[in-house]
Amino acid sequence: MEALNTLRDVVKNPKRIPEDWKAQGKKVVGYRCINVPEEIIYAAGMIPYPLFGTPKAVSLADSYFQPCVCEFIRNVFDLALEGELKFLDGLALCNTCDAVRKLYDMWNLYIKPSSCYIINNPQKLLYEANYKLYRKELERFKQAMEELSGNRISDESLQEAIDLYNENRALLKELYLLRKVENPPFSGEEALDIVMACMLMPKESCNQLLRQLLKEVKGREVYNDSGPRVLITGSIIDDPTLIRMVEEVGGLVVADDLCTTTKYFWHQVKREKDPLDAIYKYNNESCLCACMHPQEARFDYLMELIREFSVDGVIYFNLKYCHPFLYEAPLFQEKLEAEDIPTIFLETGHDLSGIGQLRTRVQAFIEMLG
Amino acid sequence: MTTEIPEKKELQIPSQMFDILMAYAANVKMAKDKGKPVVWSSVLVPKEIFQAMDVPVIYLELISAVVALMQSSGQYCEIAEEKGFSRDVCAFHRCFLGCAAAEERDPFLESVFATPDLIIASNIPCISESKSLLFSAKHFKCPYILIDTPLNTWENNEVPDYTVEYYVGQLREAIDLIKGQGYKFDLDRLKDTVDLSRRLMLVLDEVEGYRKAVPTPIGPVDALWCSVATRLAEPNLALDLFTQLRDELKERVENKIGVLDDEKLRLYFFGVPTLYNMELLNYPEKYGAIIIKSWLEYLFGGAFDPNILNPEKPLESLAIRTITDILNPPFGSMLDFTVKEVKDFQADGVLSVVKRSCGLLPGMTRPIKDAVYDKAGIPTTIFDLDGLDTRERDDVTATTNIDSFIETLLASKRRS
Ligand code: SF4
Ligand code: SF4
Repeated sequence: MEALNTLRDVVKNPKRIPEDWKAQGKKVVGYRCINVPEEIIYAAGMIPYPLFGTPKAVSLADSYFQPCVCEFIRNVFDLALEGELKFLDGLALCNTCDAVRKLYDMWNLYIKPSSCYIINNPQKLLYEANYKLYRKELERFKQAMEELSGNRISDESLQEAIDLYNENRALLKELYLLRKVENPPFSGEEALDIVMACMLMPKESCNQLLRQLLKEVKGREVYNDSGPRVLITGSIIDDPTLIRMVEEVGGLVVADDLCTTTKYFWHQVKREKDPLDAIYKYNNESCLCACMHPQEARFDYLMELIREFSVDGVIYFNLKYCHPFLYEAPLFQEKLEAEDIPTIFLETGHDLSGIGQLRTRVQAFIEMLG
Repeated sequence: MTTEIPEKKELQIPSQMFDILMAYAANVKMAKDKGKPVVWSSVLVPKEIFQAMDVPVIYLELISAVVALMQSSGQYCEIAEEKGFSRDVCAFHRCFLGCAAAEERDPFLESVFATPDLIIASNIPCISESKSLLFSAKHFKCPYILIDTPLNTWENNEVPDYTVEYYVGQLREAIDLIKGQGYKFDLDRLKDTVDLSRRLMLVLDEVEGYRKAVPTPIGPVDALWCSVATRLAEPNLALDLFTQLRDELKERVENKIGVLDDEKLRLYFFGVPTLYNMELLNYPEKYGAIIIKSWLEYLFGGAFDPNILNPEKPLESLAIRTITDILNPPFGSMLDFTVKEVKDFQADGVLSVVKRSCGLLPGMTRPIKDAVYDKAGIPTTIFDLDGLDTRERDDVTATTNIDSFIETLLASKRRS
């Protein structure tokens, strides 16, 4: 399992990749979330660095954000205040939730010298009338990345980046689809590590590793028993503890809908004459996040995952104070109930506070499914 | 020869404004009972569209505020929580969701509550505005449209045409949906309504000017009712009432008549005031201190630039006004505006309260505190206070925080 081990090592030390990149004199741009087109950053000769948090308790950031603001955002801000993200030459955000909008404000006010950019994307997707606005905002973002990198982004270089990222998405999806079988070749915890590693790595070397991994996992079976099949959806998960817990009590996490997993690679950027148009269409047509509208589109995609992966039960995970998912949960749970799909709502802090108490509930849920 | 000092009498207009609010709510209900379709919306959707089309509208924040005034918000929040909404989501929205989902409502609520035939949501100032109403749309099986507002990343009035075009397109879609409910749209009527709004803003500007006087001529509770009336009163009536209010304030200012006989401290209030206990806004008066401005007033049409509204381009100017609203993120212009306000109102300190379930303000208290201190030398105190959910009511903690802040301010005034 050489490729798998290499990928998992990347996640253990996420800063190594951007540090190596910087050692070559290149720039690093932090980003959050899936609606930031990484291809534009990459085509400008920079490496996109996904912002992940750490399970440590928030300290410094609490005097900037009140403790009732999304803990993931406070955790990231904490890292920035502590100088842990000093290697970033810039930060690119997009218009998703209130917490991300606030991060934009706070970063520009209090984190020096890194500058923060927010893409003014529409929140109404699958909506052709947003084209002009979205397209102009992508142009502005492209221009900002050109200025930051000092490199011009040609249509050719952007198309090359799209092709490279598409290949990465296709390989990840091919790998993920292997989980449809009765005994999947890798666990939910491994799946999370794989995608997070891919988000961190330059795509050329990452794609090579994924090809190797596809060969390595053929015929592999990770679970001893065939327990109930579970899908996890909800707020960001950037630490495997909860997934591990589900698997420890006998659940098979066969599918996940998270911004650190499926949402990152499920769709392809289709080829268009103009690569920026292609990126627009990709973003406009993949309405996968609870922050966006219409909500029904996301529910349809989730129901499709549930069917395709023969899911027995759904875990709805909410990070403390993550409002978009808090609003979505009752609606989605209602939908699941209508379809007779068992579901459970779990909430923890980003520092995993309260996770110990969840074990009994998770166990009872898995037993009920079994 | 002695100058005759006019007798200090109660301001006449604010109490009329409060009556208008209650009448507005009752009229919506009456309209519904007569078979007129009702729209549910939120306070940053341009009211002029509704006014020009004579549509009865329920603004969700206002229903929640009334329910809090009647001490029932906790009970309705609880109903929403039973439906699966977390106690961490905005109490305004939770309370309203509870009102919508309740099988039985209190008589006072029933008398102002009308079910929706169409929902027009916004995504500013916060995500609650767009997401919570989705539940109601499903619950009442009625159409829902979101008016998606581009962020004000330019932070001035020079918003690019393509953002205006995007917003206007959605306003047109909303108008079509309202027309689908049987209402008529007449562009000239909209132009007139926008013109009335523009004139109202000019008067409001003057009102704001008088409010900056020392001693302050209007108390915080009266001022809050007036600000709500800017949204709810029929446009001609609003113009008339605010003109009268301006004259009342002018007279007071010219005669140096303040709410307090001896105004020692002026406080600016940032956050959501305790709607279930409006008396708390008057509490500082026992120290000779007064809240001279409450931030919440901006939500209902505080001081904006009247020149933005151009009756000849009604939809475009409503779009620009919304995009450049100080409550539309990011908050660069909000910070500058607040600093200017705090200076212009000659505040001595800022009371900044954190409503734990709000997705917007808890990320703004620190920058506001820093900005007003760095740029105006004015101190701020920050403390937790949910102004909506009666279950969170804690008058002792609130007054203790106010006591210690005022005592510190008074002590430092004595020293200087
Ligand atoms: S979507 Fe939720 S978890 Fe993600 S940044 Fe926003 S509030 Fe935080
Ligand atoms: S700004 Fe805060 S208080 Fe107002 S509706 Fe949004 S979350 Fe609620």
